[in-house]
Amino acid sequence: MAGAVVEAQGVRRSFGRREVLGGVDLVVERGERVALRGPNGSGKSTLLRCVLGSIQPSAGTVLVCGEPAGTLEARRRIGATLSQDRSFYLRLSGRDNLLFFARLRLPSLRAARAEVQQVVDELEIGAIAAQRVSRCSTGMTQQLGFARALLGAPAALLLDEPTRSLDEGATAGMWAALDRRPDLAVLIATHRDEDVTHCHRTHDLAG
Amino acid sequence: MTWPVSRQSPAVVRAIARRDFDNARSYRLAWGLEAFAALLGVSLYYFISETFREVDPAELSGAPSYFAFALVGVVLGFVIQSSTIGLTRRIREEQLTGTLEAVVVQPVRDADLGLGLACYPFLNSGLRAGVYLLGADLVLGVDFSRADWLGLVLVLFATTLLFFALGLVFGAIVLLVKQAQAIAAIGTLTITMLGGAYFPVAVLPGWLEPLASLAPTKMAFDGARAALYRGGGWGDDVLGLVAIAVVCIPLGLALFTASLRWQRRRGSIGEY
Repeated sequence: MAGAVVEAQGVRRSFGRREVLGGVDLVVERGERVALRGPNGSGKSTLLRCVLGSIQPSAGTVLVCGEPAGTLEARRRIGATLSQDRSFYLRLSGRDNLLFFARLRLPSLRAARAEVQQVVDELEIGAIAAQRVSRCSTGMTQQLGFARALLGAPAALLLDEPTRSLDEGATAGMWAALDRRPDLAVLIATHRDEDVTHCHRTHDLAG
Repeated sequence: MTWPVSRQSPAVVRAIARRDFDNARSYRLAWGLEAFAALLGVSLYYFISETFREVDPAELSGAPSYFAFALVGVVLGFVIQSSTIGLTRRIREEQLTGTLEAVVVQPVRDADLGLGLACYPFLNSGLRAGVYLLGADLVLGVDFSRADWLGLVLVLFATTLLFFALGLVFGAIVLLVKQAQAIAAIGTLTITMLGGAYFPVAVLPGWLEPLASLAPTKMAFDGARAALYRGGGWGDDVLGLVAIAVVCIPLGLALFTASLRWQRRRGSIGEY
């Protein structure tokens, strides 16, 4: 482990008058898995979104591989599963969804197709990918979300309650996929003790 | 100001357009039903025209009948609506289905996202315009024997370019205030009517006529009628439309990009 991939310094975020994040300092290094813990409303998802760039901190800085969060370079280096299940095109198949997102990350259609095939094979989700997303269960959609996060070989992965709806086999598959990527920096928001056992350390957010 | 295209733009635009095409294709009957509804709408103007036949073609920008005049308004009005309302509808759908956040966190420039979202409505409306004109020719007997088809294509293209810019502005508003499709609908209908889509500008109240002459839609309708019924005289209208588009597209993209940036600051991209 060497080199900070995610660096958050003094990150604050308020929504109206309510401060959700009150000065978070956090570094996730290459190859490190950090479990983000805290009660509901403690700002776990908000912090992930600040790193992802879909929310800007009210104060403080977030860098991804030295690039300010939200910039194109930072977004290129991050894969994420969001807490919302509804982040896929329901009328399209899982594979078409993955291919669409791969095409936004990779330089050519051929590269996108190859990478989608590789991820689908690795996670053994061929049957899920063949179905229209509207016919997938929450757990199946969550597996697609994890597959999407791996596209484009990101340096950092942000996972918001990634095992919440997964069965045992899918959960094991997810951890195995992470184990095969020892250089990946992973930040996991979770309430489950089982997830914490797969992480190097925890970072607690106050309620 | 955002430069409209980058090296990555074509691939991103193709990917988004393909996704929208696949999504539209999944609703098997929708395209045909919408085309049928539009043809019914066109036939409404045909029967109105049959009722009031005695109109001097000189008052109709060279169109041989009121129906031929209104046909251009209906077809081009559809292209304009697709470029403006079509884009805002796509953004609204992305907000409601929750996919907007998943897309904007990808390594894609905001401007490319705007271009990509506009691409399918643009292609779809162009195709439909062709189908409607063909239907008017084959079924309702409109005379296109003097038509300059290249001129018509150029007018359609220039019109779409310009109204794509307006679509971006409406898209930026939808991003900011969510339920703002009505603004796009009202804005589009107003400039379509002012430009003389369904009746000559000369019948407007005197105080509205100067406004109508400023509406870029007037150039679009005049150019299309000139190309279809006079076989020429569309050049100035195309140049005018392109000149306005060249100024408005970067402005529209800048506004769209600023709107997304503002959403990130507010933290409300995922909201609907």
